Amino acid sequence: MRDVSGTSGKAGWHAIDTSVAHHARIYDYVLGGKDNYAADREAVEALLKIWPEMAFGMRANRAFLGRAVRYLAGEAGIRQFLDIGTGIPTAENTHQVAQAIAPETRVVYVDYDPIVLSHARALLVSNSEGATDYIDSDLRDTGTILIQARRLLDFTKPVAVTLIGVLHAIPDADDPHAIVATLMDAVPAGSYLAISHTGSDRLGRETIDGLTDVMDRMVQQDFTLRPREQVERFFDGTDLVAPGLVPYEEWRPDAGNPAVKSAGWCAVGRKR
Amino acid sequence: MSTEMPDGGQPLSGLEDPPVDATVLRMLLGTRLRRLREAAGITPEDAASQIRASRSKISRLETGRVGLKRRDVRDLLILYGVTDEPRQSRFLAQVERSNAPDWWMKYTDVLPDWFETYLGLESAASAIRSFEIQFVHGLFQTEDYARAVTKLGHKTAPEAEIERRVGLRLSRQSLLTRPRPPKIWSVMDEAVLRRPVGGRAVMRAQLKHLLEVANLRHVTFQVAPFAPGGHTAAGGSFTVLRFEERDLPDVVYIEQLTGAIYLDQRHDVEHYLEVVDQLSSEALTPTASRGFIERVAQETLGRHRDDQRRASRMVRGGPQALKGTG
Repeated sequence: MRDVSGTSGKAGWHAIDTSVAHHARIYDYVLGGKDNYAADREAVEALLKIWPEMAFGMRANRAFLGRAVRYLAGEAGIRQFLDIGTGIPTAENTHQVAQAIAPETRVVYVDYDPIVLSHARALLVSNSEGATDYIDSDLRDTGTILIQARRLLDFTKPVAVTLIGVLHAIPDADDPHAIVATLMDAVPAGSYLAISHTGSDRLGRETIDGLTDVMDRMVQQDFTLRPREQVERFFDGTDLVAPGLVPYEEWRPDAGNPAVKSAGWCAVGRKR
Repeated sequence: MSTEMPDGGQPLSGLEDPPVDATVLRMLLGTRLRRLREAAGITPEDAASQIRASRSKISRLETGRVGLKRRDVRDLLILYGVTDEPRQSRFLAQVERSNAPDWWMKYTDVLPDWFETYLGLESAASAIRSFEIQFVHGLFQTEDYARAVTKLGHKTAPEAEIERRVGLRLSRQSLLTRPRPPKIWSVMDEAVLRRPVGGRAVMRAQLKHLLEVANLRHVTFQVAPFAPGGHTAAGGSFTVLRFEERDLPDVVYIEQLTGAIYLDQRHDVEHYLEVVDQLSSEALTPTASRGFIERVAQETLGRHRDDQRRASRMVRGGPQALKGTG
């Protein structure tokens, strides 16, 4: 097992363990996938009791990823993506969305979960013009990520770093802001950062306590909610693309605004 | 999370437009019948007596393992309280569609019932994951390899029957090149690559064929090399079949000498899903597996050439010529 220094919480947990719920498989279940186990479904049922809008939020988060990648590959002209916290493949994965616009796009997927990685290698396969690669690394191990990403990405050209629904797994003790800063320091000006993060200021105290309790008892990963200003701080050194930092469903929506509000913050920033 | 009502009157989601495989349709209709029965609070036994059948017949109907008879379905719908005419006829129209003949019907002479079920599931699946410990998966066999495997299983069968069986196996492979092919993800034990079924020349051609098939984007091979202590799946080969429709559970297929086991209960299926997830994590990556198969093919080629060289020396110089060559 990889030893990542400076970690805390439940970070060392890298082996397949289907007896305790896993964030990637919870996501898979909520999005309609079949790569989940009884423990994952039980956790989802428990979470939904406390926070019924969670399912909407997860779908809205996934939809944000799609729209953000479409913007980055389209309007922003990005041809290199570093997708950290890949999750179990579903429809509209990063390379599919980007390569539909620019077939030559290169995407590096990073995850530390063995199930996610084996699925990514089997299912997130590039078309013949572009390329995909896979890195087995914890988000905290930025050294490994940045070295291995160079196998495929040219760091003298702009890179879009996407951290979708993953930073909440990094507790404050591991300084997530420093992690994001290290990643963004490695890419040139004109690169992009896309983040989505559940907001502590968008949920009631009781809901947060209930969620934290279920996550602690039933889910492998840490779970830290952050308020708007902390999420905004991840984007230091970038200029936020319009509409700025907003709930998932309000970031350049395709059509209309749904009645439900997600409890998350998201944005895309361009490195100065 | 789906809170779909067990309503036989609703169009079966997504089934009206694209051509749906008869097997999938049967499974969906079976699932729909089970929901209607459960919603009406009727036991499988009571349902069985309504159509003069056994409890296990109801179970097979509800899992799509047997064809649906119009009269049986109509009687069940009435028992379940689906009495209005338009709803009934919509359901029965789907029953008709689910009875369309399958391509393998022309092979019934060499096709045991238990394997026919598999063919239906395989051609209906949107994703196929397998673990092979002995032979190359049937979908990836060359004609010569398939013939050699078939002969192993049917030693006394006449030539014509062997050819029928080989023909059936090769016909299955058309799903690799059809529009919207299933994703096929196969983990192979190293032994599959090393066992020279049909002799070295046949095996070498088979390995080359694997490398070609591996170029298809919807096909993934992973090799599980001989490892100290063995692999996660201490048991044998198995296949997990997945269907696009959210309603349908995965089905695990385990072939035995004279029959097969089909598992579709969530608890059983998840055990195999976990094993195949473990195996995929432990096995070589698809890229490394490709290199591995290439190396084995080279070695098989090398040894094959040695054999030929040795044989030709035997012919020319007699056994003495081999002395000192090791």
